[in-house]
Amino acid sequence: MTTLIKLEIIRALRNKKFMFFSVIYPPVLYLIIAGGADSRPIPGMQLNMGLYFMVSMAAFGAMTAVLLGNSERIAKERENGWVRQLRLTALPGRGYVAAKMAAAATVSLPSILLVLLVAAVVKGVRLEAWQWLAIAAGTWLGSFVFAALGVAIGYLATGDAVRPIAMLCYFGLAFLGGLWMPLTFLPQWAQNVAEWLPTHAYAALGTAVEGGSAPHLKDMAILAGYLLVFAGGAAWLYRKDTRKA
Amino acid sequence: MTTTATTTAAPAEGAKRAPVVSFRQVTKSYGAVRAVADLDLELYPGETVALLGPNGAGKSSTLDLLLGLRTPDAGGVTLFGTTPQRAIEQGRVGAMLQSGGLMEGVKVRELVKLARDLHPRGYPLDEILASAGITDIADRMVDKLSGGQEQRVRFALATAGAGDLIVLDEPTTGMDVSARQAFWGAMRGQARQGRTVLFATHYLEEADEVADRVIVLHRGRVLADGTAAEIKARAGARRIAFDLDEPVDREALGALPSLTSLEISGRTVRIQSRDADATVHALYGLGCYPRNLEVSGLGLEQAFIALTTASDASTTGSTEQEGGAGR
Repeated sequence: MTTLIKLEIIRALRNKKFMFFSVIYPPVLYLIIAGGADSRPIPGMQLNMGLYFMVSMAAFGAMTAVLLGNSERIAKERENGWVRQLRLTALPGRGYVAAKMAAAATVSLPSILLVLLVAAVVKGVRLEAWQWLAIAAGTWLGSFVFAALGVAIGYLATGDAVRPIAMLCYFGLAFLGGLWMPLTFLPQWAQNVAEWLPTHAYAALGTAVEGGSAPHLKDMAILAGYLLVFAGGAAWLYRKDTRKA
Repeated sequence: MTTTATTTAAPAEGAKRAPVVSFRQVTKSYGAVRAVADLDLELYPGETVALLGPNGAGKSSTLDLLLGLRTPDAGGVTLFGTTPQRAIEQGRVGAMLQSGGLMEGVKVRELVKLARDLHPRGYPLDEILASAGITDIADRMVDKLSGGQEQRVRFALATAGAGDLIVLDEPTTGMDVSARQAFWGAMRGQARQGRTVLFATHYLEEADEVADRVIVLHRGRVLADGTAAEIKARAGARRIAFDLDEPVDREALGALPSLTSLEISGRTVRIQSRDADATVHALYGLGCYPRNLEVSGLGLEQAFIALTTASDASTTGSTEQEGGAGR
C-alpha cells in the first residue's frame, strides 16, 4: 500500500503540465481579484479583501488541483482497465483512496504556499507566525476532503459525464461556499445553505485564524463528516465497481 | 448426448485433491444474452488448462466470474475452497486480463514492483522481470511500449505475486511469432513451479502446445473437455456430403460408425465423421448408392461448428438449423 502511495506521488510530480497549471493558477487568480482592492474591511466582516481572498483562493486552488485532477484521472483509469487490474491484487479499497488523496495533496501543497507567498509579498499581508502555519496546514488538510470527493466522482460517473459533474460540484461548491465572493454579498437563503457546505467550512478554517482565533469546532466537525462520507463512499465504490467501463 | 464430445478428463490423482477452481451450475446473463449457462467446471492443482472457444463463447465472462469481477446470477464459484475475493486478498491468484489496463506515467520496473508489493508473497523483482523477459525494458515508461511489450508487462504483473493460480485472458494478442514462443516458454516455467495455469485463447495451436487439458466453451457451456489430442481429433473430423436417390432412412444413417453429426435436407445428406473411411465404407454396406460424394476436412471454425451442431442436436432433436448456419 505504501508502494502505491509513493508511486502515485511520483506520478503526480512527473506530470509537469498539470503540476504547473495547478500551482500557477490560484495565485494568478488571487492577484486578479484582490490585486487592486484597498485594505478596508469587507462590509459585514472584519477582514479586508487581501486577507479574505488569500484564504479563499488558497482553498479554491487546492480544490481545483485535487477535485478536477482526481475525478478525471480516475475515470480514465477505470476506462483503460487499470482499476480492474488493481482489483485483482490484495489492495484494500481504502488503500486506493488513500493513494489518490496523497497524490492530490502533493499537488495542492505548493499551490497553497504560493498563494500565501504572493499575498505576503504583493499585497503586504502580515500575520503572526502561528497564523501562517495554521492557515497553510488547515488549508492543506482541508483539501483532503475534496480529494476524496474527486475520487468518489471518478467512480460515480463514467466517460463523458465525469467532467460536467466534476465541474458542477466544483463551481457550485466554490460559489455557494463563498470562495469567489464573501457570503455577506449573497441572499440570506444562500447563506443558510452555505453554512453546511464543505467549502464554506473549509475557508472558514483560515478566516477564523486570520481573525486571531482557532478554527471553529463546528467547521472542523463539518469537514470531518464530509471527509468520512466522501472517502468511505469512494472506497466502497472502488470495491463495488463491477461494471466494465 | 451420444454425439457430444464431453469426456470429463480430470486427472486420476487430481480427483483426490481439492479443486483449485470450482464452478457449480453457474449462470450469468447480460440482459437477454446468456453469457454463461449452467457451467460446471473444476480445475486441479498443477494443471495447465486452455479455455478454448470462438469470440463470444463466454471465455471472458467465465474468467470474470472466476476472479470475482462479476457475480453469478445463479450457482457458485469457489477458489481454493473460498470466495474469489478472499482468495485474491490472500494473494493466491495472479491474473492478466484482456480488459486490464496499465498505470500510465510510471516506469515498467515501478509498476512491477507495485504489483509485487501489493501481494502478500512476492519474490525478487529482478527474477520477475527476467522470467517475463522484460529486463531490457524495465526503465521504459509504460506509455511508450508496443503491444507485445505491454502483454509481457501484464504477464509480469500476473506472476509478480507468486500466486498458486495464474489466469491469462488471450495473453498473446498483439505478439509476433517469436514473442509468442518466448511468452509460452515463460508460462511453462510458471507451470513447472507447480502453479495452476488457466488461459483463454481462440488458437487451437496454442492450446495444443502448452495445455495438458483443453476445455471448449460455446454459448457459455462446456462442449468438450479433454486432452489437446482428443480435441484435435475433433478438429480433424471430416465432412461427408452426398445425395441419395432412394428415400432416406434417418435411423440407419444415424447408426453409421464414427458419426458426429447428421444433417438431412430433402435427399441431400451431410455427415461429420471422425473416420471418414469407415463411415463411407459402412454407407456402402447399407446398400446405399451415394451420388456426388464429397469428403472434405474441417478447419478449426468448422470443428467448433461440428461440436455446436452435435450439442444442439442432442438437446433439441433437430439437426437442421445449426448446420445451415454453419455453411
